[in-house]
Amino acid sequence: MAADLVPLTVAAPLVAAALLAALAQFLPRWVPDLTAIVVAAGVTALGVLLTLASRAHPIVYWFGGWRPAGGTALGIDFVVEPLSASLVALTGLLTTTSLVFSWRYFEEVGHLYHALVLALLAGMAGFALSGDLFNIFVWFELMSVSAYALCGYQIHQSAVVQGAINFTVVNSTGAFTLLLGIVLVYGRTGALNLAEIGEALGSRPPDGLVTVAFTLITTGLLVKAGAVPFHFWLSDAYAVAPAPVGALFTGIMSDLAYHTFARVYWDGFSGALGSASAAVRDGLLALGVASAVIGAVMCLLQADLKRQLAFLTVSHGGVFLAGIALLTPRGLAGATLFVITDGLLKAALFLTFATVVRSLGSGDELALHGRGRTPREALPALIFLCCALGFAALPPFGTFLSAALIHDSPGPGWPFPVLAACLAVTSAAFLRAGARIFLGWGPRHDPLLTSAPGKPGEPGEPGDGEPDHGGGGAARGRTALLIPALALVAAAYATAFVPGVAAEFITASHSFEQPRQTAHQVLTGHLPPSPPSASYTPTPGAWTTAAAATAAALALAAVSLRTPGSRPGRLRRVLVPPAKALKSLHDGEVGDYTLWFTTGLLALGLAWTLTLR
Amino acid sequence: MNTRTRALLFLPLGAALAAFLLWGLAGLPDFGSTQGPYARYLARHATAQRHVTNVPTSIVFDYRALDTLGEELILFTCVMGTALLLRSSREAEEQRPSDRPTSAAQRHLVSLLIPVTVLLGLWTISYGYLTPGGGFQGGVVCGAAALMLWAAGGYRDHRALTPTGLVDAAEGLGAAAYIGLGLAVLAAGHAFLANVLPLGSTGTLASGGTIAVLNWATGLEVSAATVLVFHEFLKEYVQTLPGAAED
Repeated sequence: MAADLVPLTVAAPLVAAALLAALAQFLPRWVPDLTAIVVAAGVTALGVLLTLASRAHPIVYWFGGWRPAGGTALGIDFVVEPLSASLVALTGLLTTTSLVFSWRYFEEVGHLYHALVLALLAGMAGFALSGDLFNIFVWFELMSVSAYALCGYQIHQSAVVQGAINFTVVNSTGAFTLLLGIVLVYGRTGALNLAEIGEALGSRPPDGLVTVAFTLITTGLLVKAGAVPFHFWLSDAYAVAPAPVGALFTGIMSDLAYHTFARVYWDGFSGALGSASAAVRDGLLALGVASAVIGAVMCLLQADLKRQLAFLTVSHGGVFLAGIALLTPRGLAGATLFVITDGLLKAALFLTFATVVRSLGSGDELALHGRGRTPREALPALIFLCCALGFAALPPFGTFLSAALIHDSPGPGWPFPVLAACLAVTSAAFLRAGARIFLGWGPRHDPLLTSAPGKPGEPGEPGDGEPDHGGGGAARGRTALLIPALALVAAAYATAFVPGVAAEFITASHSFEQPRQTAHQVLTGHLPPSPPSASYTPTPGAWTTAAAATAAALALAAVSLRTPGSRPGRLRRVLVPPAKALKSLHDGEVGDYTLWFTTGLLALGLAWTLTLR
Repeated sequence: MNTRTRALLFLPLGAALAAFLLWGLAGLPDFGSTQGPYARYLARHATAQRHVTNVPTSIVFDYRALDTLGEELILFTCVMGTALLLRSSREAEEQRPSDRPTSAAQRHLVSLLIPVTVLLGLWTISYGYLTPGGGFQGGVVCGAAALMLWAAGGYRDHRALTPTGLVDAAEGLGAAAYIGLGLAVLAAGHAFLANVLPLGSTGTLASGGTIAVLNWATGLEVSAATVLVFHEFLKEYVQTLPGAAED
């Protein structure tokens, strides 16, 4: 029964998008708003239903009814298992929230906006579920092209054009890289189905073609995910996306690529690379830790709230990648749960920024110094605080449970303290910004922080990417705008208290990491045995580390709010040159970004050439 | 980083990237030496299973019809995104369109070619599952006819024949028809996009079942998308022509 509903995850939003583009111009404004919200809510419900229905074993859906013949896949399949289905539910939920928010947020919005948001939703759902390598590329492209257009929505602002162009150029390069990797795999195996590729590559040790193809596919997906050093486009693009769209980008779009990477690795390559899994793990861990560290440092150095959140996305993406890289059920379960809980918080915060920008007139923490010290701003201040503490994995809530799973996974022990420190640093950035804006603490100027270029933070100026609005409408409907954000925060915090949620995710991850079993089900239809049930409670070590991270976040926020003039700290003088150097790499030059992309691809390729045996 | 430094840094990196890619490409089987299992299966069975003589079309609209759905929606989204951005960036109300003077020879020749182009496009779509062609290819040819109207000097005719509302609607309905057929089949109790219509006799226009329907839906969507892109970019272009500002 549930199996018959699988195609609706992509077909429903797409048919609604097409019909809205065709007909909405003849209809009143509320029709596209309501249609889009209903469809997105439907996809959310479908995601939840499929998560529950696929717990015993994955649901394999063959489009066009083309079942494999003699081990050869003829058509395209979606492989629905609890991890990807729960990410579809998250995608649907964030899209619903974003659409509810934009209903009040945009005073005027063209009918094509809804069509594009629905296309983005379908692209993300297909990207999460597809079991066919080329089909994954198709959904990758669909979500990319709709994201490019939505990112550039306020095209008359020059920063928006630049951000959207950087986004388009770097992501298209990533798409070509991914496609080239797919071509190599198809040339070798004659197959596009992931299960069939896994069987065809077999357990032979990897040669040049497999190494190069795996490097290209990994790079292509990590560009979308925004891992260091492929992340440069992300802060430029997310900083200029209008709030409802930016919430989708930072909440789920980039992180989805990590999940798809995990699927491509396990189903397609884990057999061929199984003997070298330590090399795969170390390469990915290096990228994950680099992303976490560089993202966290850059996050702390920004004064612009949207850029802070963009770099937090890079940093926390590194934590997800590290969780996946451990190649253990707990690591994968923790990473997936982290994508969900952290995604809810990030989306909530992005929406809250938009209301702060609208009522206080700037999106820059220095310009906003003390401006939020009114009772009217209590609700945004509360959301700020909850999100910031959530980013530091505050026990015992949702993000803590996710981080604890990664902490308690078998594998090398060195990355976790680094990752926890990065969580603390990103959290401190938002605690600092919140204290400065809503309490008026700390100095008004800080030479270490970058404000958005050319924006003195004049009251009444919209932030980059946000729509102009009449000055009088600032307070109208404010609480209604914040309710969706508050609901997301509550959901993120409450996730930890869903009975057995950690154990369910471990069980699902265990099946996820049994590629031969999945391939057998996909290619012959034999159902796998029921997965062994797992149980999980965070260890004392996880509690201590997370509590330390929260305490460190509070301490770091306090330190970074001290007036630099009062005691010309030697520490600051030491910190300024490397901070400037790191910032100067993020210069908005798309040519430089391409150079870093090439460097990263080659470094990963070289490392794997030497170690994959 | 200035352009020169960047170029100097890129030279060794680019060379290393080329070497890395060549190493991967060297692992491919020699040209024509092997046929993958999928290719072998389709070459043997596709015509018998689907009653169409153009096997690639049967892959595009049947075996891998979901890819085509996604690709069609990529085109749709690209065009809609372009339209969204260009329309919102045009702040001033447009001037009345005016024709560009061209030579009589150009007008007559191009006017003569327009019906030929439309016919060629429709033929390419209709016979897409019998001979090389199909909805994508034919749709682009049909869309080109709208551009030729402009090339003949008839910008006013071009604008009159491609009103935004109509082209938007045609594009959206073409895409919706493709998905709608899949949904109708699903509602009837089959798999999404399953080919459940009668397959007809091989080699005639009445063959292929849903392949023919999806082919036409794609043809409509791609024609409208091509027209719409030309339409939007022409609007941008005519604003830059001398005299556009003075009207």
